[in-house]
Amino acid sequence: MRFLKPIARVLTATLVVGLLAQAQTPEDALRQAMAAHQSGQIDQAIAGYEAYLKARPGNPMVVSNLGAAYARVGRYEDAIAQYRSALKAQPDNVAVQLNMALAYYKSGDTDGAAPVFEKVHKAMPRELQPALLLADCWLSMGRNKDVVTLLTPFSGGKPEDPAVLYALGTALVRDNQTEKGQFLIEKLMRSGDSAEVHLLMATTRLNSADFAGALTDTEQAVKLNPELPDVHSFHGLALLRTGDQKGAADAFREALKRNPNDFVSNLQLGALARADQNDQDADRYLRKALLLRPGDPGVRYQLASLDFSLGKVEEARKALEGILKESPTFVEAHVTLATVYYRLRRKEDGDKERAIIRQLNAEAQEKQPGVRPATGEQKP
Amino acid sequence: MSITLNRRQLLKLAAAASVTGLSGAGPIPLFEEVPASVSGIRWVHDNAMSPDRFLPETLGPGCAFLDYDNDGWMDIFLVNSGPSDFFKPVKPLRNALYKNNRDGTFTDVTEKAGVGGGLSFGQGVAVGDYDNDGWPDIFVTAYGNCTLYKNNRDGTFTDVTAKAGLKTPGWTTSAVWFDYDNDGKLDLFLCSFVDYGDKEHLSCGDNKMGRKYYCIPRVFRGTASFLYHNNGDGTFTEVRLGTDIAKALGKGLGVVATDVNNDGLMDLFVANDTVQNFLFVNRGKDKNGRWQFEEMALAAEVGYSEGGRARSGMGVDAADVFNTGYQDLFVANVDQEMFSLYRNNKDETFRDVAHANNIAQATRLLSGWGLKFFDYDNDGSVDLILANGHPDDMIENYSAQVKYAEPLLLFHQEGGKLVNVTADAGPAFTRSYPARGLAAGDFNNDGRVDVLIATNGGAPVLLKNKAGEGNHWLGLKLEGVNCNRDAIGVKIRWSAGGVIRNRLKSSGGSYLSSHDPREVLGVGKAEKIDWVEITWPKPSGKVQRIENPEMDRYMVVREA
Repeated sequence: MRFLKPIARVLTATLVVGLLAQAQTPEDALRQAMAAHQSGQIDQAIAGYEAYLKARPGNPMVVSNLGAAYARVGRYEDAIAQYRSALKAQPDNVAVQLNMALAYYKSGDTDGAAPVFEKVHKAMPRELQPALLLADCWLSMGRNKDVVTLLTPFSGGKPEDPAVLYALGTALVRDNQTEKGQFLIEKLMRSGDSAEVHLLMATTRLNSADFAGALTDTEQAVKLNPELPDVHSFHGLALLRTGDQKGAADAFREALKRNPNDFVSNLQLGALARADQNDQDADRYLRKALLLRPGDPGVRYQLASLDFSLGKVEEARKALEGILKESPTFVEAHVTLATVYYRLRRKEDGDKERAIIRQLNAEAQEKQPGVRPATGEQKP
Repeated sequence: MSITLNRRQLLKLAAAASVTGLSGAGPIPLFEEVPASVSGIRWVHDNAMSPDRFLPETLGPGCAFLDYDNDGWMDIFLVNSGPSDFFKPVKPLRNALYKNNRDGTFTDVTEKAGVGGGLSFGQGVAVGDYDNDGWPDIFVTAYGNCTLYKNNRDGTFTDVTAKAGLKTPGWTTSAVWFDYDNDGKLDLFLCSFVDYGDKEHLSCGDNKMGRKYYCIPRVFRGTASFLYHNNGDGTFTEVRLGTDIAKALGKGLGVVATDVNNDGLMDLFVANDTVQNFLFVNRGKDKNGRWQFEEMALAAEVGYSEGGRARSGMGVDAADVFNTGYQDLFVANVDQEMFSLYRNNKDETFRDVAHANNIAQATRLLSGWGLKFFDYDNDGSVDLILANGHPDDMIENYSAQVKYAEPLLLFHQEGGKLVNVTADAGPAFTRSYPARGLAAGDFNNDGRVDVLIATNGGAPVLLKNKAGEGNHWLGLKLEGVNCNRDAIGVKIRWSAGGVIRNRLKSSGGSYLSSHDPREVLGVGKAEKIDWVEITWPKPSGKVQRIENPEMDRYMVVREA
């Protein structure tokens, strides 16, 4: 997000800490490595840190520096391994925790980043930056209520931090707390027209089924800032809801060009491919989405359903039963599981599922906005 | 090396030749629209569209081909709206009955026939000879009161609804005549749509914009459809109670009666809007002597989309599309949902093969209503026509892709697959319509089955079939004696050109509409038909064989 970029830069500037004694020993190698690190010669720095650690394994500061160097060249997995090793020795080292969280974050692994940012936030509850980064992770994980709880103490400042307004507004809108979200959007709007405002407006409109309005806003948001995180995926959603599946698929692909770990785009492309019976693409996108949100019942359902259509009936059954244990009101999963049971000649189980579907549908009918009491004359 | 060209390829060659100046003539359209100035059909549907956008306004109308005067030529019936609790017409509205003048023109005989209606908000029509007197009777569904018009055999009809016990409350849509208990008399199934409320009707719309639009039926409660048993004395008894038909609360729009498991008992496939479709499999009498239908759409895999979602089912049909001896099913849905072609697995389950037959891709942005499986070019294989139109006249304000008026689609079967040939079908297929009902029938008796499309708030579209030049055919008018007079449920097998084909005479299908009751058997270029075998439905069950029938003509076959 535009508001979050400077924050990340400030945080990563704290990476290199301390200087070690100069010598033609492993320590000398370390000194040279740190100098190289500071002058941006990262490959040399890595070689120096690795040489030092070979001779003097376990120094948490050096391990952490090596992690930072790995992160700098995009070797996030290696960086995380080093940070993890450093934290074994110094579990409460907040700077290392922060670096590790950032490595996860930059690698697109928000699931990995979130718990580490959470630890940092607990250690520094008044610090806005880790809280914002944690909020961003939670937003991408769909933990909208948690974001509201997290950021509410930071709101109301004068002047209001636009990053807080944006993240909190997004969470409120996605959590269907439209009125409160709208209030923050209006505050943001006072600071001028921006892609962020349009994206927030679009999210609100999507939630209230004003798809044409959402599309107008996402179009504007894409025009104002095509690099805004989530802007292409939400544009894709707006296109999808207004019937332009091809345009939507293009937008989702655009989102993935910028962020291959965009959950919404992976899921939607998977679902679109699935509807088109393009099983190979469906599998690829859905498995990626599952990696991004391993517990997400929607993705797991799509994969189970894909398995079923590929004739892997037993696999589908197991997956669907698992999904329904956790999400017992997931109607589509009940429908597919019933079909699976019938196909397996387990009529009794199929009938049980069918009864559940009927019950859930009846409950959903009652919750329809504007549904009227039955007149009775049509009742059998 | 021999080269076989089908008609589509020939048309493409003809088109190419025209472009390059080899010939002055363009391709012959497969279907040619007959304008009102030629046909004389000047009736126009009044959809009663109001600022409140009451839902019944957008669902009609239906249409029918029928030979009401038994002169051997298909006449046309068209359903209109009418007064209701939300609509008081400024001037009286009426249905229309057009008599076929046998020269490509029609004469409006509504008034004389006494079928103008005008007392309720008409929706659909089902034609059937319920009293087995050899004269087709007309049943009109409605928001309000249905009407049964008994054919007086003299060009007039009498409203016998109350006497027959068919006064049906609520909102009925498609209806189908079929003999569910094989007693030789046509029974009646009536799709019931939603519980629309009895005083005020729910409005849906964007209050900020001050506009109202047609509600998505999700907000209304479902209702049970109706099954009327024909008592054989001109009256009917409602018999759904105690069956799955009573338990299944749906929002029925389309219905076809067919036999999905070849057990000789007619089943029902019902398309529901926003809730699952129903497949009522006829199980015969239970131990208590009560007739049972088992609703098994979920187990049969025709209730929901592959993704487990209920869709907005509207038009339906059934036919042995792939000549397997089993009935396949079709359901048309609203845009984004794609339509489904369900291939019969021969074990009371089906597999959706719409993608493999190019149907899903072609219908992604369309909303389908009237439709029909028929062999439009008489090559012996089953083809498909789809009539489309979005229910919401304001859809273009919300969607850049979806239109209110939509094109017709035509699919031709080639090598066991349906191929979209709309582009070759003629100018009528390049235009868009708010289409609803669709009826198939050979109005000029040339053996090529024509198409009638009813449009919402517009004039009907009559399409003359010009396809299948040089292909041979045999038309059968089947008359049951012990079985129902309309021979619904009859099985036909015929052999020609080394191929044996099957057909079951289903009933209903499409949307709100009724087809020409005759069966046209296409045999392509075969020089003769070896034999035709007719298995009459129970209680007859007789098998009748006709050897070497003369081709390219209609013949009456009476159960013997």
